[in-house]
Amino acid sequence: MRPALAYRPGRDPLHAASAPAASLFLFAFALLAFVYSSPIVIGSVAVAALLIGIAAGARRTVFLTLRWGFAVALLMAIVNALVTDRGETVLARLGSAPVLGQVNVTLESLAYGVGTLGLRLIATLLVFAVYSACVDPDELLRLLRPIARRSALSASLVTRLVPVAAADLARLNEAVALRGPAAAPVGRGAMARRIVAGSLDRSIDVAATLELRGYSLPAVRGVRPPLKRSRHDRLFYALAALVAGAGIAGAIAGVGGFDTYPRIVIDTGPATLALAGALPLVAMAPFWIGRPRG
Amino acid sequence: MDSIVRIDGLSYRYPEGTADSLTDVDLQVEPGEFVVLAGRSGSGKSTLLRAACGLVPHFHGGEIEGEIEVTGLDTRDHGPAELAARVGFVSQDPETQAVSTSVAAEIGLPLELRGASSAARARAVEEVALALAIPHLLSRGTDSLSGGELQRVAIAAALVSRPELILLDEPTSQLDPVSGDELVWLLRRLNEEWGVAIVLCEHRLERCLAAADRVVAMDLGRVAFDGPPREFLTWALRSDPPLVTPSARLFDLAGIKPMPTGVRDARQTLADATAGGGGGGRPRAPWLPLSPSHPGERKRVGASGRSPAPAARPNLTIKNLWVELADADGPKQVLRDVDLELIAGETVAVMGRNGAGKSTLFRTAAGLVDPVRGKIEAEGVALLPQNPGDLLVRERVDEELPGPEGRAALAAVGLEHAATADPRDLSGGERQRLALAIVMAGRGGEADEPPGVLLLDEPTRGMDRSRKEDLAAFARELAARGSAVAIATHDVEFAAAFADRVVLFGEGEVIADGPVSELLSGGWYFATEVARVLGLPGVITAEQGAEALKTRSRVKA
Repeated sequence: MRPALAYRPGRDPLHAASAPAASLFLFAFALLAFVYSSPIVIGSVAVAALLIGIAAGARRTVFLTLRWGFAVALLMAIVNALVTDRGETVLARLGSAPVLGQVNVTLESLAYGVGTLGLRLIATLLVFAVYSACVDPDELLRLLRPIARRSALSASLVTRLVPVAAADLARLNEAVALRGPAAAPVGRGAMARRIVAGSLDRSIDVAATLELRGYSLPAVRGVRPPLKRSRHDRLFYALAALVAGAGIAGAIAGVGGFDTYPRIVIDTGPATLALAGALPLVAMAPFWIGRPRG
Repeated sequence: MDSIVRIDGLSYRYPEGTADSLTDVDLQVEPGEFVVLAGRSGSGKSTLLRAACGLVPHFHGGEIEGEIEVTGLDTRDHGPAELAARVGFVSQDPETQAVSTSVAAEIGLPLELRGASSAARARAVEEVALALAIPHLLSRGTDSLSGGELQRVAIAAALVSRPELILLDEPTSQLDPVSGDELVWLLRRLNEEWGVAIVLCEHRLERCLAAADRVVAMDLGRVAFDGPPREFLTWALRSDPPLVTPSARLFDLAGIKPMPTGVRDARQTLADATAGGGGGGRPRAPWLPLSPSHPGERKRVGASGRSPAPAARPNLTIKNLWVELADADGPKQVLRDVDLELIAGETVAVMGRNGAGKSTLFRTAAGLVDPVRGKIEAEGVALLPQNPGDLLVRERVDEELPGPEGRAALAAVGLEHAATADPRDLSGGERQRLALAIVMAGRGGEADEPPGVLLLDEPTRGMDRSRKEDLAAFARELAARGSAVAIATHDVEFAAAFADRVVLFGEGEVIADGPVSELLSGGWYFATEVARVLGLPGVITAEQGAEALKTRSRVKA
């Protein structure tokens, strides 16, 4: 079965766009998740990434990422609440722990853990999930090849090995279930050794194929690698510039403020709400504008 | 005209190899030739192909002696990447032959890496896709393709540079009979229309001899025979019988000459002999074709003498089984309303084209897949998966199977002598038997009792005929001890040798279920070579065919 994060060809504007255009568009959203600490803005970035993924046919990818992201974000928030005792509103005093000392869970540390760290993680994961499912890695490698041939070779090898190794792992797990009751059970160590050995064998086979395709040939000078072009590219570039530009300008102007220590102060002014409201709309714009006519 | 491949005194040993894989090989391949490379497992066929495309020694390392020139380039000086513009190579495993995410990118990659212009590349990709009948795949992702589709894409990528020579290492081993036959004839068409020389390594020689100009047989790393297909068959009958095709064996047993290279050739020879002329001086065969509608003869000839005589007790009962599996496009029905019983002592071949549901049936019976509806009742199901190597995870055989039950399982497959060996040092056949011991261990009632049901999923891939015969004998022995043994296979000749009964799947449903002699003699793709030659109901093996021919000649006399 295809791994959830694997690239899958599609016909929507994001798939049709060239790799640089699609990449810049997506990374503009990821950028805002780091420029801002406000859960309103970061949450909006997460919603935007979710909508892009759904519109681009990567529904399974984004929902699996969301589920996994929630679990990690929750863990992150709990750890932050336990290790940070800043904040004025103490919710629980958990006593003294050997390494941490006095452990107090504060509302502010929880707010920062959930509203900034957790949401940022979810938003970033969603953007990368959409990126890996919708941006053709072949095209990126093609761009990389003239600049860094060895890195492109390694990346090609890894790109191909990931689905092959995933399929191998699924088969090995089934093989464990097929062992007779009197056969030795397979521990994690033996399984890990088998997976590593199998991956090495597989990588040799894939590397042989790359060699046969001509990967080790010197780059041909004066020949530009073929790049996909799309009628949507300009729109994606423009929207990427708009998102990044407006986002950075807003941050400089103090839009989307969010302070948690010592007390929670969140900017819910019209500019912040407008920015948060605009991001999902901008995210959907290429799919609306670029839809087939007639 | 210069030879496209010229090999003089080639010897080669893999790094850490204990013996030479190739020994003093001399070989020439001429432009536009279609050469079949025959030989048993481990005879050096794959190594020879890898030497011809430069992977040996540039990629694999090792020690090499002698000279090898391909399209005028010395492979010691020119590596596989340089040779790839002139020589295409397609290996056995389709999964590791795709390195791009989309089919179009995969096919165009060799040209892209050689700096071909966009227009030249686009045209070449389009043309090769048309030649291989895969233009509909160009927009697909490589990870969404079936094994057969991937194999065609790999051939397209090997052909896109318009090489003078293409080398193929058992490309049909994972394909069903339909796809396998199609691929061989596709290669012949490319050979004739494009003039590309082809060297095809293949175990199922009955599939490709008719398309070949010449056969090279390898034995223990040496060229044991080099000549036309007909002479090869005569040589093989004398020197290496496991390489003989079923129709040649039929002719040999019936005393008919010359040896046929394929079904058409055999039928023509028989027809010429029947007509009493046109044989060009060949001895007239003392027989007449048997009418398929001759009821008395049909019954007599069809008796295989190998009736299953099953006990009444079913070891596996499947009722109203429905299975759905999810893929990227959502859930898909893979098995639909399957009813099946396997009786103790029965040997069953489960057949059908790629994707028909054979493996899913086995995986469901073994408990790996939950059905959406239906019932399975079984007594100790052991399943040997398609890749037996997946079961071998330790460095000593006895570590895989500890204790008295483990020793009993090893003894049951005849591997007690190898208890301290590293599984990687065992032969292919021994590794498969070890994997069988692992899946069977402890599933029988007593220590030495076999499991109630033994299922083997495509166990003959890449096997030569002698190993297949060993496997068939082993499976029949288990059946004789009370197991119900079912084997999913694309290999009709193996099915004919092993099974009492054939269950044919199509689109997840059982479309035919009956005695092997009936099922494998009534069709075209799911029929043995002998059945296709003679067209007699119930006649599927060379022995049965020869008996039918002799009987007919006696009637005539």
